[in-house]
Amino acid sequence: MPKLREILGHPFWQAVALLVAAYLLFKWGIAVLPPLVGFPSAPVPQSVVLQYMLTALVGILIYVSYNEARWRRFKEPINATLVDANKRWLRATLLVLVPALVGFVAYDQSRPKVSAPLQLRSIHPAPPGQITVRGRTIRLAGLENPLRSRGTIEEHSREGRRVYYQNCLPCHGDLLDGKGHFAHGFSPTPLAFDDAGTIAQLTESFVFWRIAKGGPGLPREGAPWNSAMPAWEDFLTEDEIWSVIIFLYEQSGWEPRRWEVEERAEGAGHE
Amino acid sequence: MPDVLALVQAAADTAAASGYGRFPGPGARVAVWIAAQVHLMFAAFVLGVPMFAVITELIGIVGKDTKYDKLSKEFTRLLVFAYSATALWGAVLVFFLTTLYPQFWNHMARIFGPSMWLYVGLFFVESFTLYLYYYGWERWNAGRAKWGHWGLGIMLNVWGTIVMFIANGWLTYMMSPPEGVTVAGLPEGMTTWNAIANATWIPINIHRMIANAVFGGAIVAAYAAYRFLAAKTDEERAHYDWMGYVGNFIAISTFIVLPFAGYYLGREIYEYNQQMGITMMGGFMSWLWIVQAVLIGVLFLAANYYLWLGMGRIPGAERFTPYTKWMLLVLIIGWIVWATPHTMIASREELMAMGGSHHPFLNVLGVMSAKNTAVNIMILTTFLSFLLYRRANKRPTVSWAKAGTMVQAAMFVLSTGVVIFYGIYGYFVAALVRIGFSVYQVGAVLACIIGVTVIDIALVRGAESRGAIQWGRMPERAQYALFVLAVTFTWLMGLMGFARSGIRQHWHVWEVMQDTSEFAATPALGYAANVISVCVLIFLGLVAFIFWLGGLAESAMAKSVAGPTAPIPATAGGE
Amino acid sequence: MWATNLKVLALALAVVGFYTVVANIIPQLESEVPEALALGDDVTPEQLVVAGERVFNGAGQCTTCHGLGTRAPNLLTAHAGEGAIGARCGDRVAGQDCKAYLYASLTDPGAFVVAGFGNIMLDVRRQLPEDQIWAIIAFLQSLGGDVTVTGADLPTEAGGAATPAAAGPARSTTTDPMALLQENACLGCHAIDGAGPPIGPSFDGIGGRISTDRIRSGILDPDAEIAGGFEQFAGMMPKQFGDQLSAAQLETLVQFLAGRR
Repeated sequence: MPKLREILGHPFWQAVALLVAAYLLFKWGIAVLPPLVGFPSAPVPQSVVLQYMLTALVGILIYVSYNEARWRRFKEPINATLVDANKRWLRATLLVLVPALVGFVAYDQSRPKVSAPLQLRSIHPAPPGQITVRGRTIRLAGLENPLRSRGTIEEHSREGRRVYYQNCLPCHGDLLDGKGHFAHGFSPTPLAFDDAGTIAQLTESFVFWRIAKGGPGLPREGAPWNSAMPAWEDFLTEDEIWSVIIFLYEQSGWEPRRWEVEERAEGAGHE
Repeated sequence: MPDVLALVQAAADTAAASGYGRFPGPGARVAVWIAAQVHLMFAAFVLGVPMFAVITELIGIVGKDTKYDKLSKEFTRLLVFAYSATALWGAVLVFFLTTLYPQFWNHMARIFGPSMWLYVGLFFVESFTLYLYYYGWERWNAGRAKWGHWGLGIMLNVWGTIVMFIANGWLTYMMSPPEGVTVAGLPEGMTTWNAIANATWIPINIHRMIANAVFGGAIVAAYAAYRFLAAKTDEERAHYDWMGYVGNFIAISTFIVLPFAGYYLGREIYEYNQQMGITMMGGFMSWLWIVQAVLIGVLFLAANYYLWLGMGRIPGAERFTPYTKWMLLVLIIGWIVWATPHTMIASREELMAMGGSHHPFLNVLGVMSAKNTAVNIMILTTFLSFLLYRRANKRPTVSWAKAGTMVQAAMFVLSTGVVIFYGIYGYFVAALVRIGFSVYQVGAVLACIIGVTVIDIALVRGAESRGAIQWGRMPERAQYALFVLAVTFTWLMGLMGFARSGIRQHWHVWEVMQDTSEFAATPALGYAANVISVCVLIFLGLVAFIFWLGGLAESAMAKSVAGPTAPIPATAGGE
Repeated sequence: MWATNLKVLALALAVVGFYTVVANIIPQLESEVPEALALGDDVTPEQLVVAGERVFNGAGQCTTCHGLGTRAPNLLTAHAGEGAIGARCGDRVAGQDCKAYLYASLTDPGAFVVAGFGNIMLDVRRQLPEDQIWAIIAFLQSLGGDVTVTGADLPTEAGGAATPAAAGPARSTTTDPMALLQENACLGCHAIDGAGPPIGPSFDGIGGRISTDRIRSGILDPDAEIAGGFEQFAGMMPKQFGDQLSAAQLETLVQFLAGRR
């Protein structure tokens, strides 16, 4: 045991151990640990693991080098491997292994694969200033849901529920979780409205724009245009779209993001 | 002869016909971009370094310490060279604009004509103040004359700041022109002043003033780092080690307030035009902020790393070394949180496993609440590093030392608590309320920094020393950390320049004058990064040349002065 | 010392390179210029002004002469102390309001030549569709005046033939070469008899310099080959002469020029 303690006390092996621990944490820990305490989780994409590992590596290098004594000890085994006579075999092995590893990674990165290339879409692209829906031009900036100022919310929500179940259910699902029975056929998958990062972050006018124009109406930064969302302006009336928006917020419990109108009005007061 | 004139006229007409001139190679946009960016970097240098010079000169006068005076003069010498580089690049920019963007320039000249004359006039005054300041250094070096000399330094800053404010008026006008402006010019009843004092003018002024101080400090530190590495004697090493510390201190302490100024600027942009704000934060520029997070993470780590290494030369600092690794851990976690993308790059299989491009768990870290919390905690940690560094070799003698330290600790705990509380609470409220929370977080951090600093100044007054700082006993790694800081600050400046300019998208003047050239589309981040890198390398190359010139002048002067100058004691300076 | 210099250089390059790589591997989004407006009858005056400005500076080639130039009146800012065109257009001709005057002077420019300028302007209908002409008028009105052009002025797509313009400009049938040079504004750029601006090659001695075929192809497809020394004016010469001149007119012109040795 003292042998192990000695090894763990050595900065070089500490660094190696930390690096391995970090990799285990990022690769599997994040996917496995949160569900144990009741949070949903999933495997972390390779690109994010790489980013995290780079950060961890920088941190570990700082750790071993911010103290002069530790830095010297850290370098000892490296130095020994490079120059000591009795480490000749280790040196030779590394000399073969390291280039081989680099070569393998390069090969693995560049060899043709069956999978589709990585692509990234901006899920919330900047909306246009105005859109034309069924021949009527609508200015999006500052636009509020017109249904909120007439009739009752229950009424609109009921209407929205009908629209949702007739049109949206197959993809966005019964629980608004984006897991309808068609959902698994699509990439990108349908949005989950119960997620804190979707409609909870958006104004109603933005949601209106996305429903009315669908995948085909995504701006350039929304590319690639492989979203399966139809342009609902061809099938629904303006009021139907607005009512389904009310239903989404009522049902999911999120509040739509508001425009900063109050503050604007104040600002205008003293000008 | 008339033929030539007619040709010139005709050429001007053609440029006017399309509104744009041609530039060989990368094209007109890149030419203007590089000229503007490099000019701006030099401008930041010649505005930031005088602030530095004046402050150090004052410390020298008040503390009767010639070391500071010498430092101040060393910088002013670099300024003289840097100043002409600024002017040269400014001239390049103006010529490029007039020949490549004649219609746009025409528009600007029509609106800002008088302010341009004022600008040129002030430039003259500023240069002559600089010459007086530098060449009068030895002449007015004592008594009341010294104060007069210091006044010159103040005036140098004042002129420089006014010059910058005028230029800021032009460029903020391009972002947020006042209502009613048309391509033809200002509407009836509006003056040039209205165009200068537009919606984003004041926030840019503040932001740039602070950023200049940061930049000045960083460049000074890099200069010192280079001289440290090149030093041949222990005295030199001690001097430049100390200079590097001061530069780093100024850069980081001003840098800590910069996000607040940036926040104010962002708010004003949203206030002026929501569309512009959305483009900036959520639209095609949203990935820019991830790159920015990487850069700022590097800055925080490099600055802290420098401080921690510096504690190796302070007797008594061993007391604090056990805490360092925990601060490092906090910084790394903060950086990871801050740079976690909301929308992840993933293959199809990974997307299916995640159930969308948002990770079900890491998603929590991708939103504003988490990022604000992370960055505030990182600021607090860096501040703590500074505090420990400052305290390292001091043993307070005041009777309330223990209680004072407890109060300081309580302040840290309290502000951390506030930051984390609002960070978590932010998940449960509407977006609009959440935006307001960042003000509380920032307020708590600022209050903690101010409160702790005030207590600390009183606390260490008359403190016993545990031993003098051994200036010069600094590993070379620390100097390279200073280089990383300087390069990163420069690159960050280029990136933010792209962000500020890019949010106008295809407008020369937002919603007034459209860019109809072939370069109207705003380039992608990769392209922008390539141009930024070229700008940074040009700037750093020229700065290296200026530093080298400074060294030449110094050795020439050292030879001409008979007899050795007073050496600086290796252990000079308590702090 | 050089080792230190190299180390510092390598460090700076590595840091800059790292940031460049990071910025290059993340998704690349370019923000493109929005599509040009399709002008329908529901177009707003603001949209017309924006579109008109673009045509004025671009496809309309108006700024070739109406820019800084001395060849035509300044439209953008005050001309002869009378204010920009939008301010002065209403009282140029008695009985014609601004809109009518601008339309007339764009489609029959010879009738409204301002004193001191040559009659060199072409009927813009040869170059631009009707809706773009109205957009230009809206833009010109916006320079110091009120925009009165509306979507109703635009020709309907159904081809209602409501406007007289739908018939197109009357074609000249003259075969007098000097008249053709005048009519087609050739002399706005080419010198003849030792007088005129040097924007294009002089017509004096042109028959001696280049072949007859080259003169013909130069009229029909001006940008195919640019005369030496005139590269910076490439693209300025209108390309519609092939559609505009009759065969007899073209041949007359070509033979006339080829004869100038």
